[in-house]
Amino acid sequence: MNLGARRMATAKSDDEAFEALFTAEYARVVGIANRVLADPHEAEDVAQEVFIDFHRLHSATAQYAPAWLHRAAAHASLNRLRGARRRLKREVAQAAEEGDRMLDPQKQLEVNEDRRQVRQALGRLAPKPAAALAMRASGLSYAEVAQALGVGIGQVGTLLRRAEAALRKEVTRGTSN
Amino acid sequence: MVDDPDARSGADAAHLEGCPECQAQLKAVGEDARSIASLLAVPEARVDVGRAFERVVNNRKSQPALVRFPILRPSARPFTLAFVAAVAAVALVVVAFTFAGLFYNPTTVKTVPVTVADMQALSQLADYGTLTWTNEPQLQATTSAADASTLAGGLKPPVVSKLPDGVSTTVTYGAMSEAVATFTFSAEKAAASAAAHGKTALKMPAGMDGATLTITVGPAVGEIYGELKQPSSSDPSQINLPQLVVAKSVSPTARSTQVSVTDLENFILAQPGISKELKAAINAIGDPSTTLIIPVPVEYATSTQITVQGVDGVALGDNTGVGGGVVWVKDGHVYVVAGSIKRDDAITIANNLK
Repeated sequence: MNLGARRMATAKSDDEAFEALFTAEYARVVGIANRVLADPHEAEDVAQEVFIDFHRLHSATAQYAPAWLHRAAAHASLNRLRGARRRLKREVAQAAEEGDRMLDPQKQLEVNEDRRQVRQALGRLAPKPAAALAMRASGLSYAEVAQALGVGIGQVGTLLRRAEAALRKEVTRGTSN
Repeated sequence: MVDDPDARSGADAAHLEGCPECQAQLKAVGEDARSIASLLAVPEARVDVGRAFERVVNNRKSQPALVRFPILRPSARPFTLAFVAAVAAVALVVVAFTFAGLFYNPTTVKTVPVTVADMQALSQLADYGTLTWTNEPQLQATTSAADASTLAGGLKPPVVSKLPDGVSTTVTYGAMSEAVATFTFSAEKAAASAAAHGKTALKMPAGMDGATLTITVGPAVGEIYGELKQPSSSDPSQINLPQLVVAKSVSPTARSTQVSVTDLENFILAQPGISKELKAAINAIGDPSTTLIIPVPVEYATSTQITVQGVDGVALGDNTGVGGGVVWVKDGHVYVVAGSIKRDDAITIANNLK
């Protein structure tokens, strides 16, 4: 095989590897972002940006690929959550969409308000505990959370417990204000 | 181990079986975890993976081509920590060989791509002589800007006018005294080191054996945002990286009395294992005597040339918030803004720094 043919073969297998990675991880990456943003459309935007960034900078065959994607999804969506303009836009879109779906407008209003307060509280947490909560709540195992955050698996339990306490405190603070 | 049975060790499970106290505690913590999970509950996102993949691929094709990063082989992964540590060593070496014969004092900044192989090749250079500190760098943390300034010989810490959302306002000031190191080239040491690896050392250019290179860095001063926690003694890998670091340092200088920049540059670039890309990037730098060269590990980071505070600068990282930074040189000082923030936020902070 000459050099040109070998390069093409590498490029093809790299593209195939990226497609396989995308198929395996896309739903989970969207899940993490959705857990933070409570908005499936925006979560998909975040997930796609994360995959584009990943593919520009890394090889899809890298062992750290899933951990990188999970961490980037959590950070990117938390960053969005903290952007005030986007938050407003999202809430309007979310309220409109869910208003269409639900039958009881009063109940829906309450659900939306709770969800908004929880997201605001999540946005006030430090990035690491907030990311840990989002990842765990979206179904990642302790081992996966540990890999994504670069901590030992033995620390994940404590990290999550502290994060839960901090979130509860922030939610209470938000509702009492 | 609370709500993930897979993370529970056999010993924990056995203890739990016979300990009502732990069972009660586990139950309470489990209920807590469930109530938080319900707080974070959302309608599940239904995704069309095929369509999403098409969008991503089309978007990628429409983007300008960037440097494609080589694959980091799994066999190289245990090397990662050493690799990161080597960045510092290589920075010193790269800076050292860009000095212009008698004097090196950067006024601008550029990046060069380095790979694992480059790191390995360049780290061998440390065996070609002896490094001695005339003034070892002293690092100190303080809670006041004034104290940091005193420790850094009067250099004032730069002031951040506005922090991005989400960055902690907890600030620690740091100062580093001026540090001076001398590297003495030794043909004998180079030959011994090469022989120990079963190789033959490259012949040093005339006059390089015994020549000295004196490098001065700092003083420097800066601030660190975010809570600083010491790594726990039981698990030293648990280092909490600060959210944001802003630093200012007097530009480094390098002096030599015996070797010319051309000789040294040629000698270093002739080392086996240095990539063509690195050689080309170094050769493309107009005036190495006034350029601060930043080695960017290609597997880990990406960089762009930008204008910051009216001068040329370098932006590193991306906009995911995982990591971003800016480096520039202005009025005899090197400035760095970096952290677990978006690259664009780092640029905004850099432009508004006072």
